[in-house]
Formats: sequence, structure tokens, C-alpha cells
Amino acid sequence: METVVTRFVHALREEGIRVSPGECLDAVNALVLGGIEGREGVRALLQLTLVKNANDIPGFNDTFDSFFCRQQENPFFINPEELMGAFFHIVEGEEFTDEMLEKRQEDRTSMLSGAQNLTAEDLQNLEWLRDMEEDSDGPEIQVRMKGHRGKNKAPKPSEFNLLNLPSAAFSKSWGTESNPAFTPEEIADMHEVVSRMLIRIRKDVRRMKEEQNRGKLHVIKTLQKNYRNGMVPFLVSLRRKKKVRPRLVVLCDVSFSVSYASRFMLLLLHTLHNRLMDVRSFIFNQELAEITDLLTNMPVNCLLEIIDSGVIVDMDENSDYGKVLVNFKKRHLESMRGNPTVIILGDARNNYNEANDWVMDEIREKAGYLLWLTPEDRETWKRGDCLIEQYGAYCDKVEYVKSVDELSVILEDLFRSIYTDHAPRKRRDRFDKDNEENTVDYKDYYNQAKAAESHNYWMQLNPSSSAWRERFGISYRKKR
Amino acid sequence: MITEQGIKDFLRSGGYIADSAIATAVFLALRMEKPILIEGPPGVGKTGLAKALSSSLDFPLVRLQCYEGIDEGKALYDWEYGKQLLYTQLLRTQLDNYLSVSADLREAVERLAAEESMFFSMNFLVQRPILRSFLSEKRSLLLIDEIDRSGDEFEALLLECLSDFQVSVPELGVIAAKRKPLVILTSNGTRMISDALRRRCLYLYIGYPDLDREVAIVQARFPQICNELAQQMVSFLRKARELNMRKPPSVSETLDWANVLTILNASRLTRDILDNTVGVIAKHQADLQMVKELAVQELR
Repeated sequence: METVVTRFVHALREEGIRVSPGECLDAVNALVLGGIEGREGVRALLQLTLVKNANDIPGFNDTFDSFFCRQQENPFFINPEELMGAFFHIVEGEEFTDEMLEKRQEDRTSMLSGAQNLTAEDLQNLEWLRDMEEDSDGPEIQVRMKGHRGKNKAPKPSEFNLLNLPSAAFSKSWGTESNPAFTPEEIADMHEVVSRMLIRIRKDVRRMKEEQNRGKLHVIKTLQKNYRNGMVPFLVSLRRKKKVRPRLVVLCDVSFSVSYASRFMLLLLHTLHNRLMDVRSFIFNQELAEITDLLTNMPVNCLLEIIDSGVIVDMDENSDYGKVLVNFKKRHLESMRGNPTVIILGDARNNYNEANDWVMDEIREKAGYLLWLTPEDRETWKRGDCLIEQYGAYCDKVEYVKSVDELSVILEDLFRSIYTDHAPRKRRDRFDKDNEENTVDYKDYYNQAKAAESHNYWMQLNPSSSAWRERFGISYRKKR
Repeated sequence: MITEQGIKDFLRSGGYIADSAIATAVFLALRMEKPILIEGPPGVGKTGLAKALSSSLDFPLVRLQCYEGIDEGKALYDWEYGKQLLYTQLLRTQLDNYLSVSADLREAVERLAAEESMFFSMNFLVQRPILRSFLSEKRSLLLIDEIDRSGDEFEALLLECLSDFQVSVPELGVIAAKRKPLVILTSNGTRMISDALRRRCLYLYIGYPDLDREVAIVQARFPQICNELAQQMVSFLRKARELNMRKPPSVSETLDWANVLTILNASRLTRDILDNTVGVIAKHQADLQMVKELAVQELR
């Protein structure tokens, strides 16, 4: 029985369902206690003990069906003694500690009695299982270790999680399929991505909150809190340091050329909203519109339909970044408080309209951090009406995102930096300082200008670097 | 000897109609002494199962409602500072007498230190739900409700309690459970629960019941409702669940509706009745519209 359960667990692991050795033992215990009575009974017992996530239940059922489907002419008798012989190999590759062995010994008698009750129905697979190659399905973890031994380093934990993304749909690049609605799987996957991300970030969030609490003693609050203890300060209340409320402002281009990327951005925003921080979100094409309320109150598919129908912003127009930026400055820039992080998603294809890049400067003044995400490959930045180089010079960072994975990695890094020190500005100034020191070394303007002509030189630099700023004649006043 | 069928009958006596997966889970939880983690949409009877179990098995129910920021002081135990202070105040004269015998300060401190454990004894320990259920003389049922609302720290705190059935109090040492309670955790899935906690539990997913079971649930709760009406309303609600509503009607809505229909003395479902009572099953404005449209198609 143990062999069957172990094999089955391996099959589950291959299916991508995580099962721990402890759960495997539980399953064996459960089968002994519950008895093996019919297919559905066994299915229920195994499901209860092995599957710990509602999403895994369909996968489990498939595996169960395919695993226990093979019928054999002669159901053979299984000798309980023989079963016990294989007893200590319950989990391949697992070393038992002494405690576990002891416990096993205790259980042994009860297991024996349980094993005699086995009906052959679900165990008849043993023979063909034995024929299978021993090494064909070792524990998943070993397989992974093999893969990473040698030159390739094992991935960092965060990367590792991303490798385990729940569905292949997201590991691909942006799909360019025309249908705009999200499938439930996409939404579920996005929830999964976000919740994994939140789990990883949560530690940093907590540290930030603790740091916020570290301050001077708040005498009045402490006295109030300890009133019932006769003013003996058992519970200490500390004055909060300056309150940090991370804010995010997102401007998202929804014009046809980037719609495939922006819909994922919208979905990500939708899932993130209110879970991590205050998010204000805008969409624009030629006009700019705030959709923060819509995002909170509406299922994401409805929202996409509305956006596509062109009620919020006219979808027939070409995108006009200059106009949008000016409108943003007029209507919303005043109400941006608390050094929000500003993210702009778009390809910066301005359709040869006025650039109005001075607005970017003002946004930068207000923003704690300014990030531009473009779904367009670096190679094509110089072609046509693309203004990314000009706009990018004002940004702290310009990133090229080609899939949801990358998007979530970039955002995660961003959130982490916001939460940990909440001073990207400080960090940025430090970087700037380093960069300045570097440029002092290169006073050879002639060669620099010559190098600038070559395509490769510029390709190495991020548009947010100081060399780019020089090229566009942008200089920053240092804040504080 | 408890069997699955026995558990089904038990639960039926407590007014809960279980399917075989639920009965198996309860059976295993009782035999393996493992907690059950129940997930499922709201209103399908997760908490109801715990209540029915506690009444039919006659285990006293200890309920711990989780919320954001719950900690060990609210869930496990707390020291009663006020009482400790009060005692020191009241015993002041006693203490004076007791300490006045000692020759010098050092001896007095030693004498006092010897009695220190008095102030950190069970007398001054406030038992919060988990500890209370562990220390209960009778085997109890510990319901940890909506675990997804609590934080990570709290989950980590539960790990010791749930795997070893013990609580560590630094001043007193480890307090083991007198009788291992039957533990039921419920979650609405608003947050992913860590694998560590999942591993320690049996996992039971309760979805919406099938037609027969739901009719049986209605009839168990409202015996006066006729079979035809019950069939009709349940099949209507099952169609409504496929509508992609914001808050799909769950079993609790079915029961509410059945209650309303009995009060109205309805014998069969008509559109008029539905229009008047639609607020019982649909809880959002958009949903109201959807249900009414469905009624136009389905009912006369």
C-alpha cells in the first residue's frame, strides 16, 4: 500500500501539486483508519490528506483517474509481510529520523491489521508499477537540484518562486490575441502572482511598520493605556515617527498599440488595489481619465469592456502624450500629495504632436520616484514618433517589460524599495553622486561626442542616466 | 467505533446534511486527531458544520473569531496585570509581616523571590479560547473562524498549538492539552494560507451542494415546505449561481429564502413572489437585475 501511495504522490508531484512526506504518511494512516472501500472512498481519503489547495483538486482528480485506471485480469493477492518489507521505503529519498522510526514501529502492528483489510481493487496496479523504472520519477526536488548543480547557480528564492508560476500563460510574452476579456484562469493566475508577491514583500512591510513605531515615549497615550494597571506602565505606547503612507499614481496608455500590455497592467492594478497601498490610476489615449473608483467598484472584465467601448476615453483617436501630460498637470498634479511613486506605462509614440516634456519635470518634482514602463523593444525606440528617449531622461528608471513576470518583478522591487526605506529619492541622489564622480573622469568631450554618435554607446545607457539628461539639456535642482 | 455513516447520522441529528466528503473528513479528524481546514465560498456552512458537530457530538464549542491584528494575548493566554496589582495591594500588610522577619534587605529580597512564582501561576493567567479548549475537562471543539483575516504571525503562532496541542508560556513552561480538542479552521480564501499550516491540517473544500443535498438541507430546516417548492427554488438558485453574479446566492441565502417563502405561505414559485423577495437572494444592485432577468426566462 505504501508503495502505491508513494507512487501516487510522485505522480501528483509531477502534476505540479506539492505534497510533503508528512502528508504522504498521513495518507497512509488515513487509508489504514478509513479502510479501503471502493474507489470514491479512497479518492476522498487521499484528497483530504494530500491536497491542500482548492486549485489543485482538478489536477488531483485527473491524476487519480489516470493513475488508478489500469485494469488487470487477475487481481493478485498481496502478502502483508511483503508490504511491511517495503515499509521503510515509504518515501523515496527521505531519510527517517529516529523518532519517526520509533513511531513507525509503534504503528506497525496496527498497520498490519489494516493491511489485511485491503481489497485488491485499488492495489492491483502494484505489478505494473513495479515494472516501471526505479528512477523514472524521483522526488521533484532531487530533479531540480540536479538541474542546478554545476555551473548554474540555484536561483534566488524570489526568482525561484517566479519560476514556479502557476500557469504557462503568464510565462509567455504578452499575448497579442484580439479578445480583450480576461479568462477566469488569467484572473486567478494574476491573483496568485500578486499574493505570492505580497507574501514576499510582507516582511519588508512589517519592518517598515515597526520602524515607524520606534520613537519617543508618548506619555499621554501610555498613561491612558495603563489606567487599569494603576498607572504602572506595563504597556508602552511610542510616538509614531513621521507617518509613511506609500502612494502610487499610475498612468496607463490604453491606445491600440499598447493595449495588450496595458490590460495586464490594469488587471495587476485591480488586484493590487487596496491590498498594499493607495493607488490612483489613470488611463489615457488622447484624453486622460481617472479610473480609481471604477477599479475598486467593478469587475475587471466590465471595466475593460467599458474602456474598449470608448466611453471613458475615445479609443478612435491617436495617443497624444503631450496633451495628456498637460491635462494631468492642470487637473491632477495639484492633488498629488506625499511624494507618490509615479508609473507611466506606454510606448511614448506621440504621433508627432507637441512633446510638452517640461511637464515631466514638474511631475518629477512632485514624485518620489518616476518610472516609465514601455512594452517596446529597445531597438525600435529611435524609429518613428517615439519620444521615450526624451521623456525617459526625466525618469528615475525606464524599463522594458515584455511579460507579466517581468512586470511583477519590477513592481516588486519598486514596492520593496518604497517600503524598506521609503526614500528612493535619497537612494537616487546617491546614485547620481556616483554617476557624477564617474563623469568627472571622462573629460574627453571630443571622444565622448564621437562615442555618442555610435548607436551602441547609447544602447548601453538607460535614458534616466545623467548622460542622457545632458544630451537633452535637462538639469535638476537637488531637492533638500 | 465511529463510522462515516454514523457521522452522517450524527450530523443529521444536529440539523446538518453532510455529503460523504464532509463525513470522511470529520471521521478522519476524529480518528487521526488532526485539525480540519475548511475552505469554500461564504455561506456554504463551514461554521455551520462546526456548530452542528459540537451539538451532535456534545463537545463544548470554543470559538475564536480571527481578525487583523489578533495576537497571542487574544488567542492563547494573557497575564492579568490588574489582578496581580490588586493582590499585591491587598496583601501588602501580609507581605510586610512576612518580610519584616528577615534580617536585612538581601534576605528580604530572597524571601520575596522565593514567592515570585505565586504571581505567575494559573491564578493570574487569563485563558483565551485556544488555551481554554486545551484545558477543558471534556473534549471540546475549537473553531478558529475566518483564519484568512489574521496575519502571518498569528498563523505561525498556531503551528505549535495545532501540531502538538500544547501552549508554551515562558513563565510556566509548556501546557499540554488535557483532552485534544477537535479543531476546525475556516477560511474564505481572501488570502493564501501558508503551506506550513495547510500541511498540519486535513483539507476540506466545501462547494455549493448538489441539488438533492440542497433540497434535503432546506427540508431538514423547514419541514413544512413542500417538496415541489423546494425543488423549484433550489433549481432556480442553482441557475442563478451560474450567472457570474458579484455575490452568488449560497446555501445561507437558500435557507433565508425558504424561510421567507414559508412565512409568505407560498406553494409554488411565481414571478410576483420572486420580485417581492428578490432582495433575500441578491445582495447587489447589478445582481438584482440579473436575477430578475433570469426569472423572466425561467418562471411564469
